[in-house]
Amino acid sequence: MILDLHTHSIKSDDGRAKVENYCQWIRTRELPIDGFVLTEHRQFDLESDYSKLAADFGLTILKGAEVETEYGHVLVFGVTAPLLEAFDFSDIHLPLARVIEACAAYGAVPVPCHPGRKRVGMSAHLAEYGVPDGVRIVETLNGGSRDNEDAVAQAMADELGYRGIGGSDAHIVSHVGRCATRFPAPITSEQALVEALNGGEFEAVSFRDA
Amino acid sequence: MSQLDIEALKKEWVGVQFEERSFVLDPQNMAEYASACGEVAACYTDPTDPDFQAPPTFASSLQRGRGLPEHFPKMPGLGMDAGKAVEAFAPIRPGPKTSRTHMHDIYAKTGRSGRMIFLVIRMALYDPDGTHVANADTRVVIRERPTEEDQA
Repeated sequence: MILDLHTHSIKSDDGRAKVENYCQWIRTRELPIDGFVLTEHRQFDLESDYSKLAADFGLTILKGAEVETEYGHVLVFGVTAPLLEAFDFSDIHLPLARVIEACAAYGAVPVPCHPGRKRVGMSAHLAEYGVPDGVRIVETLNGGSRDNEDAVAQAMADELGYRGIGGSDAHIVSHVGRCATRFPAPITSEQALVEALNGGEFEAVSFRDA
Repeated sequence: MSQLDIEALKKEWVGVQFEERSFVLDPQNMAEYASACGEVAACYTDPTDPDFQAPPTFASSLQRGRGLPEHFPKMPGLGMDAGKAVEAFAPIRPGPKTSRTHMHDIYAKTGRSGRMIFLVIRMALYDPDGTHVANADTRVVIRERPTEEDQA
C-alpha cells in the first residue's frame, strides 16, 4: 500500500486543494498511490469526515497535523483528543521535546518533515540545539523540496539512523502523490498508520519523474 | 529588537472594527465586472434579468478606505497581498449596501524565509434590512526582518 503522508487541503491557510479534487486527480491521472494523509498546518481537523469520499473513490483518507517547533516543522500521526490537550497545535514555537513526549504518552508518531530545508527543517538547527532525543523517523522525500534539500535530509537520516518516509507536501491538486510511503500491508485508519510506522516496515518513494 | 508579540497583538486588535461605509451598487458596474471575469450567464451580465446579481467575488472589489485600524502598530517588514477570500451568504443585488470592516485574525507561521505575520481583514457586507450578504477577507503577509539575535 502506498500513501502520500503529507498533504494540505483548503483547511490550511495556504492550501488551495479541496479533498474531493485530490481524489479526482488521483483517479483520473491514475496515480500509483492508494490514499493520502491530510496534515493541516498548526491544527488538527476534527470536524471533517472524509469516509464517504474515501469509499466513493476507493482511497484511504486519513488525518494528521503539521506543527512548528524550534527544530522546524513536524508531522504528527495518530492525533487524538488527549494529544490535542497536551500542547497548543497553533503555537509556532513549540519545543520539539514536548511534542515528542506528548506523542509518546498518547500513542502518536512525530516525524520532522522536510528536514533538509533551511529554517523550517531539522538539520538546520542541529548545530544550535544538538541532536534531539526521541526522533526515529524523518521525511526524507518531500515533494516540495528544492535543490539538494532531500539529499541533506537523507544524509542526516543515514548519519543519525532515522527511518524515512515520503510525502508530497501538496498544497495544490496537481502536486499530490509526488512522493509517498510504501507499506507492506493495507492501512485504513490513523491507528493502523501509527502501528505501521512504529513497526518500521516502510520506505519512502518518489514519483516526481513519473 | 525582539520579535513582535503575536498573542498580545491578537488580544488587542482582533475583532476591532475600523471602517463602516454606506454606498449604492450600480447594476452597470456589476455587469461590467461579471463580463470582465468571463461570466456569460444573464443573471450576472444582464441588469434586466429578474435574478440579476453580482458574482460572489465582486464582494472583494468593494474594500475601500483604511487598510488597517488607526494606531495599528508598525509592522516589522514589508506587507504584501497574501490573497483574497469570499464567503457568500445571499445574492449581491444592486442598490444600497453597508460594509463594516474589522481585524479578523492575526497569526504567524514559519517558512523558508523565516517568520511571517499574517493579518486577515474582513469586510462584512449587508443589505439595508440587515441581511448579511457576504464576507470578503483580505490577507496581508509581512515577512519579518531578521532580529539582531537571529543574525548573531
